[in-house]
Amino acid sequence: MKAAGLLLTFLLSAGTVGAQDYLNCHFVPGWEPSGTKRQYAADNLFEYKDGGAEGYLSFGFVRMQGVTCASGGSTLDIDVSEMHDADSAYGMFAANLDSSLPIDKIGMGGQIQKQSASFAKGNYYVELVEIAQNPESDDSATMRAFAAKMLEHLEGRETPPAELAWFAKDDLVSTRMVPESVLGLRELKRGYVAKYKQGQAFIVQEESPEAAAAVMKSLRGRFAGATAVEAGDEGFKATVKYLDGICIFRKGKTIAGYANLADSQDAALLAAKLAARIP
Amino acid sequence: MSSKTSRREFLSAGLMIPVAGAGSKLGLSKLVDATAAQAPDAPVKLDYRVLGRTGLKVTTVGMGCMITSDGSVIERAADAGINYFDTARGYSNGNNERMVGAALGAKRKQVVLSTKTHAPDKAGMLQHLDKSLHELNTDYIDIWYLHGRSSSAEITDEMIEVQQTAKKAGKIRFAGVSTHSGQKELLPWMAHKGAFDVVLTSYNFSMSIGGDPGMDQAIATAAKAGLGVVAMKVMAGGIRSVKPSDPLYQKLTHPGALLSALKWVVNNPNVTTTIPSMTDNDQLEENLKAMGHPLTPGDSKVLAAHLEMIRPVYCRMCGECGGQCQKGLPVADVLRFLTYADGYGHFALGRERFLELTAEHKAVRCGDCAECTVQCPHGVHVAERVARAQELFA
Repeated sequence: MKAAGLLLTFLLSAGTVGAQDYLNCHFVPGWEPSGTKRQYAADNLFEYKDGGAEGYLSFGFVRMQGVTCASGGSTLDIDVSEMHDADSAYGMFAANLDSSLPIDKIGMGGQIQKQSASFAKGNYYVELVEIAQNPESDDSATMRAFAAKMLEHLEGRETPPAELAWFAKDDLVSTRMVPESVLGLRELKRGYVAKYKQGQAFIVQEESPEAAAAVMKSLRGRFAGATAVEAGDEGFKATVKYLDGICIFRKGKTIAGYANLADSQDAALLAAKLAARIP
Repeated sequence: MSSKTSRREFLSAGLMIPVAGAGSKLGLSKLVDATAAQAPDAPVKLDYRVLGRTGLKVTTVGMGCMITSDGSVIERAADAGINYFDTARGYSNGNNERMVGAALGAKRKQVVLSTKTHAPDKAGMLQHLDKSLHELNTDYIDIWYLHGRSSSAEITDEMIEVQQTAKKAGKIRFAGVSTHSGQKELLPWMAHKGAFDVVLTSYNFSMSIGGDPGMDQAIATAAKAGLGVVAMKVMAGGIRSVKPSDPLYQKLTHPGALLSALKWVVNNPNVTTTIPSMTDNDQLEENLKAMGHPLTPGDSKVLAAHLEMIRPVYCRMCGECGGQCQKGLPVADVLRFLTYADGYGHFALGRERFLELTAEHKAVRCGDCAECTVQCPHGVHVAERVARAQELFA
């Protein structure tokens, strides 16, 4: 299996899906390629990422291309993962970011640290990890320079998913994309979650208002004692174990709401405000 | 009885016998039927086994938290009685450890918590350990694994020393290694080395393809030496990826198929616990049923159907077919080219490689031979597959 994967990697690197010009150690003076470029598909990513590969796959991983650059006694691994779509690429970035640091305007979003960087642009999620000769050195300028040059060569969207702008900004701790089962509920297949100092909000898009209405019906069946609220086109609130005070509503094809608030009435009030921000 | 039926029955039997045999012979893991704990919605019968020399009593179904969507699922699992939770420093860049720590909260001391380090050296490992303790909001880790090792050569004395030092310092209770491949070499080595308490290994029904007993033997060796055996990748992945257009789709995706895969692993008494990934509450509820519900002939039929599907097309690149073709075809290469097209969707790449064969080999047509001389020891339908490659690429 491993041999097959390595061979596949070699063959892919040899031809059809050739490493792209966004992988270039010479983007920053003083850096040279070290070893051959690497490529992985969904079937053999685990050889490179071990169990962590499953996280990539859950975000719609298609393929990864990477290169190792060297400068003096330092090495820099650059890996570019192509995901199924731009939202998934952003989702991968958001799942792996350091929530104690701000998100920079690098492509759809990025973070630069002393010896690492990550960002997303279009369908691509990019990771740079340096093993520096001096573990204490601040090489953020190098990271930023590589990121800037790579952005020039990567195609695709540079704006984060529109849904993120709908979340309230007050007391916001972090936002992320959940690739399946938002809030642990299978009906909410894929969406965005905003964590607040108190509770969390979520937004899920369905294909159509009809599909969203069907999901709402199924969800309502999960929460015994749910009562109707005025939010969007339809909504309900409930107080349940694990999700505490919760309010879920539908507006057109969008399903959204709040959870983990002390009281379902609080959730309903916040949900109504969220509904007003959704176009 | 048709040959197809016979093969299906053979596969079905093959799924049952090795495990049952291993259990009756060795009887190493103590299966303790414990009093049912209260699950959030309904009572769940919990089964426990002792995790090798650690002496920890863990539920036979644990929880892999890597792709869990929400902390509430972890909280609910703990309330349901699951008492083994697994994460890693590398999952979501550490964000997964934070979610697990927050979700377990006050229940931390009632459960067995494991995490892993992928650091290559002492300094990195120590840094990871302190970070893991901080993110998991705990002052000790029950089992600390070296993450994703494929051979004994990937485990240095320095790594073992760091684990032992961390043990003495009380930061970890037990040392382990996680592995996705190379188990047949690695597990016996770990058993002999005596420096580890637990092994976390991928293990599922698809590993019985070809009737290869090597994996079961490796696990038995580890268990006999006192290692706790934790199984991951228990669902074999494949069932979830079956497309609706596949003729076997209905059979493989019927409710309970994933549960059958989990029950197959739990059925092996040398496996102490399992860590299926659980994204949501429905999955949790289903997986809980693997405890207190033994593997049935119906489960085996479902799994056999899956093997039936992948066996004829799954080339393991073992090389056993080399030199067997009377026309001299490099059979394994041709099968690989076909996999590029059929498996990975890279038709152009498959064709390109096929066209690089010698003119003589490109001209071969399997249909011209009265009988195929290539016998795959793992059951791949070689003539059928090579003929398909010729049809696609030539």
